Amino acid sequence: MKFWNSVAAIAWKDILSELRTKEIISSVLVFAVLVLVIFNFAFNLAPDLILQIAPGILWVAFAFSGVLSLNRAFIPEKEENCLEGLMGCPVGREAIYVGKALGSLFFMVLVEAVILPVFALLFNIAVLQSGLITVTLLATIGFVAVGTIFSALAVNTRAREMVLPILFLPVVSPVIIAAVKASAISLNGQSWSDMTIWLAIILAFDIIYLTVPFLVFPYVIEE
Amino acid sequence: MRTRIFIILSAILLLVTIAMEMLLIPSLASAQNKDLIQYSPVFYWHIPVAWVALFAFLCVFIASIAYLWKRTPFWDIVATTSAELGVVFTTFFLLTGSIWAKFAWGTWWAWDARLTSSLVLWIIYIAYFLLRTYISNPEQRARFAAVFGILGFVDVPIVILTLFVSNQMHPGDAAFHLDKPQMIITLVTGVVAFTLLYLGLLFFGIHLREDAYEVSKLKETDGG
Amino acid sequence: MDNAGYIVTAFGVVWIGLFIYLFVLVQREKALRKEIAALKEDMKKA
Repeated sequence: MKFWNSVAAIAWKDILSELRTKEIISSVLVFAVLVLVIFNFAFNLAPDLILQIAPGILWVAFAFSGVLSLNRAFIPEKEENCLEGLMGCPVGREAIYVGKALGSLFFMVLVEAVILPVFALLFNIAVLQSGLITVTLLATIGFVAVGTIFSALAVNTRAREMVLPILFLPVVSPVIIAAVKASAISLNGQSWSDMTIWLAIILAFDIIYLTVPFLVFPYVIEE
Repeated sequence: MRTRIFIILSAILLLVTIAMEMLLIPSLASAQNKDLIQYSPVFYWHIPVAWVALFAFLCVFIASIAYLWKRTPFWDIVATTSAELGVVFTTFFLLTGSIWAKFAWGTWWAWDARLTSSLVLWIIYIAYFLLRTYISNPEQRARFAAVFGILGFVDVPIVILTLFVSNQMHPGDAAFHLDKPQMIITLVTGVVAFTLLYLGLLFFGIHLREDAYEVSKLKETDGG
Repeated sequence: MDNAGYIVTAFGVVWIGLFIYLFVLVQREKALRKEIAALKEDMKKA
């Protein structure tokens, strides 16, 4: 129980400080919309072809804006030396990981909740489908799970946030690939049974990407 | 001394494998099967190189865990050397595969599951070295690299699993279904040759890095 | 390129690559030996 109390406290701390400043959310949202707009210029496709690349565009927007928001997970801690303070508290190191991951999950889901309707508007595609939403949620969990530990790693290097995409995107690519495939199936109106294999893959990765970082995170932030 | 023996032995075996590939395999090809990958000599190098690369990354994984447990520089050195060898061998299997693809299918690359996951694997372990260059503190560098060595290993089972997925441009588990003894012998020789090569280069690399570590320690205590 | 050309290229790439890598390793070893010799000189003087 104490574990979950600590986790909730850490996640709530992040959410609260962000709700006050709204720094991350505003810049990440604008960035995500920009990605969608740029893709429109980049491809300039006929409406029937849009459906083919729409899942890819969506997930590029999510992935890149996700990297931005993950960077913010640990940079303030590093700058204000909050991390040492956090480690001084009687919370387990693993609780810091889960709390941070939950906070990042909250922000990413918030961004996705705004981007999906914008996407629907800009590309004229119906997105409020249970299939797509399920895929998005599941894949975001895996994304954030592994992204949090890489963010903690990246922030402690000389290049800081610049190194996060290099470290993190290759490792998380299976989740993104599966998410794009599953999203394509959903947007094309195919049935859930076609999607199950991809959902199973995403779920398997979620489990791996939650377990391994959970075990290894204490080694990242030790003194 | 031991490393030199390994390297020379493996070089000899590699030559033997080439001889076997060029002499034994083409004679097995007939009009029906000449397009099957296992009747091509390149197969008997591409596969061993790929397996040794994956084995090298397994060694990185194990050495990374060992480092986090024991915290001796030795395990960090093993991990780094093995990662370097893994990148080198992955480059080789990507290149030989690409050359063969151009010949057999007319294209240098395809974004199927196997090739994509292999390319991602290559990028992950290059990122391993990038990460190391971005950290100045040696202890932190070894620790972070070990964490990354554990996390990055997730792609290796994926690369292996894609062998068993059907409908890919890259041939699947043909290596497990060889029917002619000449093929099996050639493949096994190739695997032995490249494994010996890997071990020889691994010991050489570890030896070099251990000496470099001693030198850096001496320079520290000496005042430079 | 015909059949033989591709095979030669594929083998050649690996051989040349291995030689380059071995060369790099040997260069590292030489640089290390030089450093050790220089250190030994310093220690003799001190």
